[in-house]
Amino acid sequence: MTPSQEVRIEGWSWPPGLPAPVALEETRAGAAAIRHPRARAGMAEALLEALREGRRALAAVPVREIAVALGGAAAEMVRTLGEGVAPVAANADLSPAMARAALIPMAESWTPSALAGLVREEFPVPEALDGFVPSGSRRIRASGHPFALHLGSGSVPGVTVTSLIRALLVKSAVLVKPGAGDVALTVRFAKHARVAHPALASAFAVQYWPGGHRDWDAWERTMFREAGQVVVYGDDGAIESVRARTPASTSLVEHPHRVGVAIVDPVEAPDSAAAAAKAVAFFEQRGCVSAQLFFLVASPAVAARWCDELAGALEALARALPPAEPTAGKASATHQTRGRLALKAAAGEPVRVWSSKDVGWTVALAQVADFAPIGGRTAWVVPASEPQACLAGLGALPGVLQTVGVAGLRPDDAFAEALFDLGATRIVPLERMPFPNAEWLHDGKRPLGELVRWAEAWRRDADAACLGSPSD
Amino acid sequence: MRIHAAQRKANPLLRRFWDAAADHPPTSWRDVPPVPATAFKDVAICSGPAEAVFRTSGTSMGTGRRGEHHVASLDLYRAAARGHYRAALFEGIESALLVSLVPAPHEAPDSSLGAMAGFVAGEPEVSRTVWAFDAARGVRMGAFRDAVADATQPVVLLATAFALVHLLDALGAPGLGLPEGSRIMETGGFKGKVAHVDRADLYERVANRLGVPQAFVVNEYGMTELLSQAYDGIAGRAPPIEARVHRFPPWVRMQALDPVSLEPLPPGEQGLLAIFDLANAGSACHVLTQDMGLLGKDGAVRLRGRASGAEARGCSLAAESFVRASGARRR
Repeated sequence: MTPSQEVRIEGWSWPPGLPAPVALEETRAGAAAIRHPRARAGMAEALLEALREGRRALAAVPVREIAVALGGAAAEMVRTLGEGVAPVAANADLSPAMARAALIPMAESWTPSALAGLVREEFPVPEALDGFVPSGSRRIRASGHPFALHLGSGSVPGVTVTSLIRALLVKSAVLVKPGAGDVALTVRFAKHARVAHPALASAFAVQYWPGGHRDWDAWERTMFREAGQVVVYGDDGAIESVRARTPASTSLVEHPHRVGVAIVDPVEAPDSAAAAAKAVAFFEQRGCVSAQLFFLVASPAVAARWCDELAGALEALARALPPAEPTAGKASATHQTRGRLALKAAAGEPVRVWSSKDVGWTVALAQVADFAPIGGRTAWVVPASEPQACLAGLGALPGVLQTVGVAGLRPDDAFAEALFDLGATRIVPLERMPFPNAEWLHDGKRPLGELVRWAEAWRRDADAACLGSPSD
Repeated sequence: MRIHAAQRKANPLLRRFWDAAADHPPTSWRDVPPVPATAFKDVAICSGPAEAVFRTSGTSMGTGRRGEHHVASLDLYRAAARGHYRAALFEGIESALLVSLVPAPHEAPDSSLGAMAGFVAGEPEVSRTVWAFDAARGVRMGAFRDAVADATQPVVLLATAFALVHLLDALGAPGLGLPEGSRIMETGGFKGKVAHVDRADLYERVANRLGVPQAFVVNEYGMTELLSQAYDGIAGRAPPIEARVHRFPPWVRMQALDPVSLEPLPPGEQGLLAIFDLANAGSACHVLTQDMGLLGKDGAVRLRGRASGAEARGCSLAAESFVRASGARRR
């Protein structure tokens, strides 16, 4: 499909003092052309040297000060976004309205207070990130790896910014490769972060490059070899590829693709269709926090009425927060899905489809076995006789479950335990699905805890105290 | 339209599908609502008793569900395939050694590609056939080397692109030259198997390692859901890759559709391909593929590969992760 407007995006931000790139090249990603330095010999080494220097400065700054600086940079970025949201939206293949609506709540997790809260949540004594601190009979210390490589994926704007912020909070120098659809926002944030604090200026680099391309082979080998930690987001193929190239001694943190589901009792939650529509539409179902599959604790007839309401809410959202122009692939996937469901209905199976006139949204009332996520505002609704039946249905998603949104139910501990056993890592009210709290877990992992290494040292004064009072 | 009418009469499933999809009866093949290729995974589409069932390689959500094409007549399949593969592969050959990197029909009885390889093996010009592919272990290099080492007659090599890449990798340099006049039919893509390999690079490697010039390598475009195939040249005089277009036999019609509205596009505009294949008389003739292409005024199609859009994703699980090797990869 021909994009209505081609967008050119700057795809890199290097520490100051590095020589300007000798040559630039463009890599196409969706509707955007990403301009970035052309690979050349010695470029990786020069960047690493600059980052090592930057890390020394960063390590000397208290973590509280870093949190304030990063939060200030994010606030300034959001405050000045204005018309700048257009390239962010185009790069992410979102409409400007959707990009703005998604970014503003997301930025709440980047404020100074949110970042300070995250640090406190993860480190009861945050000063452990600044130096050894007493802890019982020992002194403890935590720090990010001297150099970390973060590899983003996809086109949810803000994911790479979050990853970058977390690396800097734990004082890692970091090279981030944004997802192809997340370049514009990351580079924009980088510009604000470099001026927010002198110690941040040289501690990170943003660089997009066509991953796996032979021109970048030497660059990638150098970065994988030098990184103390690699953080990778992506599908199975991306993760398996990174696993194969990461040295055994290097810490590897994986964030594979996951699916978000919701469990709704429509009688107890009569307004849930509107919240469900938002949970479907935000990020165009590209996030693991997006709702794809709904289990409705209701009869098929009640479920059908709820689907009517959901369809109406999605149609209203399509006007308020329109999707971007669909790609050919997205449109094709939608037609294939609608067509195959229509054939199943023709075959007498209990399937009904509600859809927009274009490929903007689809609601499928079907069986859990029919579920095949295609994104782009496609809600799969499965009626269930009782909550326990939902759990049985979730058993069809082994190993891929992430967020579970709940409406009209009060999940007790036993229910939450059952969801946990099925792999759920986040259980929240339906309306909270799209926007995780900053200090909550990320894919069931500690957002900062997974980025640090710990050390402990003998505490001499404790030793002396212990030895000095044998009768205690 | 007579076949469409026959399918309407014989297949109540399709009749209900078409009635629900269109406001009025079609007056042309173009108006018949196409059946999405992925629907072959969900329901048995048979407009009569089936002599064979071919299956795609995709599975769905661990249920083991694969696309199924219920084929009423293997003779019809053979008749549909034969004229075109003979024209594409056998021009100027009196006697040939057939080496197949496609599984033999007895090893993969539900593979439409394997069945076609079996048809080729039965051609009068084929003096001997070597099945050099094992479904579990891949290319049988020993069998391949033994077969071609002493060959004096041209070799007709059938291969998926995936198997061909593995053959070339395993051969290494300097390769193993095939006798003069040898030719290759390669088919299928690389999705989910190996990193994307540009077709020009592949053909260059074929020339370097097997000694088969690009003009003797032809691409076949086919899928389990269609019984007719398209080729992009005649082995021995196939044009340069950049000039190639695929052609189906004359009983096949195509439309390039706007991907969003599914409205037909004028010739020369890129769209989703819907293919009407009369050889699908026993199932559904009109199939909506997931492939993009541009139609010429002479009925040729310039293929542009699978409709793409996967880049517009985040950390949400894609259907592809559920449906391994999804779509219509042909077995």
